[in-house]
This record gives sequence, structure tokens and C-alpha cells, in this order.
Amino acid sequence: MAATLAGTPARPRKLLASRRTRAGILYALPVVVYLLVLFVYPIFSTLFLSLKNADGSLTLHWYVDALTGVNLSVLFTTLRISAETALFSLLFGFVLANAISRLKPLWAGVAMLIVVVPHFISALVRTYGWIILLGDKGLVNEAMADLWVPGAPFQLLYNEIGVVIGTTSVMLPYTVLLLYGVMRGVDRRLLAAAASMGAGRVTIFRRVYLPLVAPGLASAGLLSFILSLGYYITPALMGGPNQTMVASLINQQVMKQNQWNGAAAQGVILLLLTFAGLLLVKLVTSFGASRKKRSTS
Amino acid sequence: MMELRSTLTGRIALTATATVILLFLALPIVVILVTSFSSNAFGSFPPDAWTLSWYKALFADGSKWPAALSLSAFVAALSTVFSLIIGVTAATALTRSELPLRSAVYALVLGPLLIPQIVTALGLFLLFEPAAMLGSPLAIALGHTVLASPIAVLILIATLRGIDERLEDAAASMGAGRLTIARRITFPLAAPGMIAAAIFSFITSFDEFYISQFLSSVGTVTLPVQIYNSLTFDIDPSVTAISAILIAFAILALVLVAVVRWLGSGRQDSLLSVETATGIATPGGETV
Repeated sequence: MAATLAGTPARPRKLLASRRTRAGILYALPVVVYLLVLFVYPIFSTLFLSLKNADGSLTLHWYVDALTGVNLSVLFTTLRISAETALFSLLFGFVLANAISRLKPLWAGVAMLIVVVPHFISALVRTYGWIILLGDKGLVNEAMADLWVPGAPFQLLYNEIGVVIGTTSVMLPYTVLLLYGVMRGVDRRLLAAAASMGAGRVTIFRRVYLPLVAPGLASAGLLSFILSLGYYITPALMGGPNQTMVASLINQQVMKQNQWNGAAAQGVILLLLTFAGLLLVKLVTSFGASRKKRSTS
Repeated sequence: MMELRSTLTGRIALTATATVILLFLALPIVVILVTSFSSNAFGSFPPDAWTLSWYKALFADGSKWPAALSLSAFVAALSTVFSLIIGVTAATALTRSELPLRSAVYALVLGPLLIPQIVTALGLFLLFEPAAMLGSPLAIALGHTVLASPIAVLILIATLRGIDERLEDAAASMGAGRLTIARRITFPLAAPGMIAAAIFSFITSFDEFYISQFLSSVGTVTLPVQIYNSLTFDIDPSVTAISAILIAFAILALVLVAVVRWLGSGRQDSLLSVETATGIATPGGETV
């Protein structure tokens, strides 16, 4: 919205209000109808399906099924791999975003390009790149053999190491972009103020900088965790049977076993976990906003 | 971050670590590009000998790639049209008019970007399976639009917010009708944003995997699903060539977006500079 000039009359909004409201509703209609029919309704039908027996009676059987035995261990695997991915994306993302925020504009631009371009290349293609890189005769193992690393070649594919490497590289651009924004938003005068009061580098980092970026770190970590929960391209291609993710199981149940109700229950569980994560993001960011206000006032 | 600039060794360590992480992002892509010209597609890296045979194999008789490629292109084109229609109208509603329940509409638009795509895919499967629409390119395109249209809406909201509304008001004050304003003022200024929205919608649909996998049938397989199947079931070395083409395609699309944005950035400035030159106001809103 453009700023209104002092002295110039604002748009005669009152006069046009009803017409503008009607226009608003009319223009919003396509997106609302589209998403209600093809997004909201399908999700609710998933929810209903997960609560129904074959004969149509209500049941919690599919949730019990989803939370016991093999299915429960797949859920734990999903949570574990997502947590590991979030941890590494956050760690790498923090170091990279911090380094980029210190670079001169030209180099920062080049570095950002290397972050952004992969983001727009299909995750399947990037995963395939990792499969070539991490094989027994791949670049990584060959390089380690050339450097006489003891134990090389290592088994880097079809186990959790491979999965976490691959999934982290898919999620990393998100965390870097988010953290870079947060780090650019830090008021440098606060750091200067701390320095002028005699705080050392480590103290400034620990007592001023880290608390200021902490909400950003938390939400970036939670975001990559949430995004990993429903992901299975890389785990399916680079993992073994012990790295099966819930999303992969949903696909198998629908395509191979015609077990739609069970798949629906697992989908709803993923949905609930996602909502919990998003709620945490909201709490963390509003907590961060109130603290930032206090520290600058 | 002058205040935090540490010792020389610290800086070197940070730069080195950052470079390794950048390599971590770039290496899988570089490796695909190089391997697609290697005579031994599944063998050692770097390659011993060079060849174009994987690219030739893509279009050999009996190859599955042309069909998958054309299906994906068709589906992405359809999805782009749908996303643009939805995007333009929704962005207009959210920036240029009074909308009851505005935040609810906004939350609805963000929804598909936040919830797991597998859940959206499952829901769409449950919607289209009873309608016997599995394998229909239209169904796949309608599904992809659920993910592509929110991106188009967000880009177009930013575009419309970036256009100074006073330009539209000025045209109205000179007697221009709504259609004339839309055609002569808003549309030309929003064109770069619309092209960007179209390109991002196309990429989103073209690369989409989960919905495609749920909605495809034996006869209709999109490119990402075909790549996944090739990597899982049958070993087809030409998958490196198609992957390299996809990389080139994505980079080309991003370059296109950058060029369009760069060309478009001068436009509004030239319109506003008349105002600035006459000393009425600057776009920042300070009165002179």
C-alpha cells in the first residue's frame, strides 16, 4: 500500500467500500473454490476414511495399527531421520549463512546463487548425483582412498549415513535462506553497544548475537524437520529397509496393498505432527518478537 | 558484522567450512552434468572416456523418455494456465479490494505449502480414484495446481504491492475506466511478476513427484516418476542425460526470471520519475 501524502485526501474508501468488498469476494472466488474442492475437501475425506471400517462404521483400528509393530518403528525412523536432517541443516545452515552475511556483496551474491540454484533443481536429480558420488567407486570414496584414510572405501549408500547426507542437502537451501534473512535483520548497533561496554567477541556472540538469532534458528530447524517428515524420495533411493519413511509406507499401502484406510490414518498422523511443529514455530517467533522489542527499546 | 570479525585463523576456518558446505550443495549437480557425458554412466568418477550416447539413447526407438517428457510439459503448461488465473484474481482480491476473512483466505493459500505433500497427494488420489480419473493429464494438472497456485499467488501479491497505487488513482482521476487502468497501467507493470509466476508454476509442476505418482497410471507417467522408476527398478544409464537436461532447464528458467525482473525494474521508476521531477513527492512518501 503506497503511503498517503500529508495534505492529500485519502482514497474515498467509505463511498466505494461496498463495491470494493464485492469485487474482493468475486476475485477471491477462484482460489477459494479451487482450494476448498482440491485441497481442503480431500484432506477431510482422508480424515473420515481413517476413522471408518470397511462396512462404514466408526473405528480407531487404523490408528492402533499405525501406532503398533512395524508401523510404529517406521514412525520412529521418520522422526529420527527428520531430527538428524534438521540438526545437520541447522548446523550447516548457520555456518554458511553466517559466512555469507560477512562476505562482500559480489561474493555473497555468488554464494547465494550456489544455495538457490540447487533448490530449483529436482530433488530426484540431486539424489541421483549423491548416489553417483557416494558409491564404493564414487568420488568421495576414491578421494578418501587417495588420502589413505584408514577403512576406505566406506559403505555410504543404502544406510542411514547416505540418507542423512542426501536429505540434508535437499533441506539445506531452506535453512540457509531463512537464517540469512534472520542474520541480516540483527541490529548491529546492539553488538557495537556490547563491544563498547567491554564485552569480548565470545561474550558478544554468546550473550547478544546468539539470543537474537535463537528464534530464527529454532524456526529454521523446525521447518526442515516438518519438511522432512513427509519426504521420502531420498530415503527410498539412498536408504535400506531400515530407513523406510512413513510417507513411503503410505504410498506402498495405497499402490500395492489397496489399504487406503491405513494410509489415511498415517497421513493424519503426519498432518498432526506437522501442525504441532507449526504451532511451535508460531510460539517461538512470537516469543522472539517480544524479546527483540524489549532489547531494542 | 565488523563487531564479530574474529582473528585471521578464525576467518580462514569459517571461509573454508563455508566453501565445503557450498561444495556439498553444488557437487551432486556437477557430478550429474559430467557423468552424462561419461562412457561409463555407473562407473568411476571422474570418467575415463567421453560420449554422447546417453543423450542419443533418450530418443532411440522404444525409449520411455519422450512420452514422459511431453506429458510433463503438457501437464506443466496446463497447470501454469490454471495457476495464473487463480494467482492474478487472488492477488487482486488480497491487495486491491476489501476482502472479508482476508487472513483466512491467506491461510488457505499458504496451506498447501506447509502441510506434507504426501498428504495432499493421498487426498487427491481419494478424490480422483472414484471419478476414474487416474492417469488423466487433466487430473494431474489439477493436482499440481494445488501446489503451484499458492506460489503464483505469493509472487503476484508481492508484484501488486510493489506497484504504486497512485499510478492507478491518477489514471482514474483522468477518467480512465477500470478496464483501461488494468490494461494500460496495472498489466504492463505487473507483466514481469506474471512471467516470473508462470515460470515458477511451470517448474513446480514439472518437478512435482508425489501427486504425479499417486495420480499416474501405467500409460501416463510423468518425467519425475519415470526417473524414480528408472532409479528403483530398471537400470537405464540414459537417466543421467535426462537429469542433465533437467538441470540445464532449471538454470535456464532461473536466468529467464532474473532477466525479466531486471528488464521490468526500470519501468515503474520511469513512470514515477515524472512525479519526482515535478517535486510533488518521492515514492518513499516524504512530502517535498
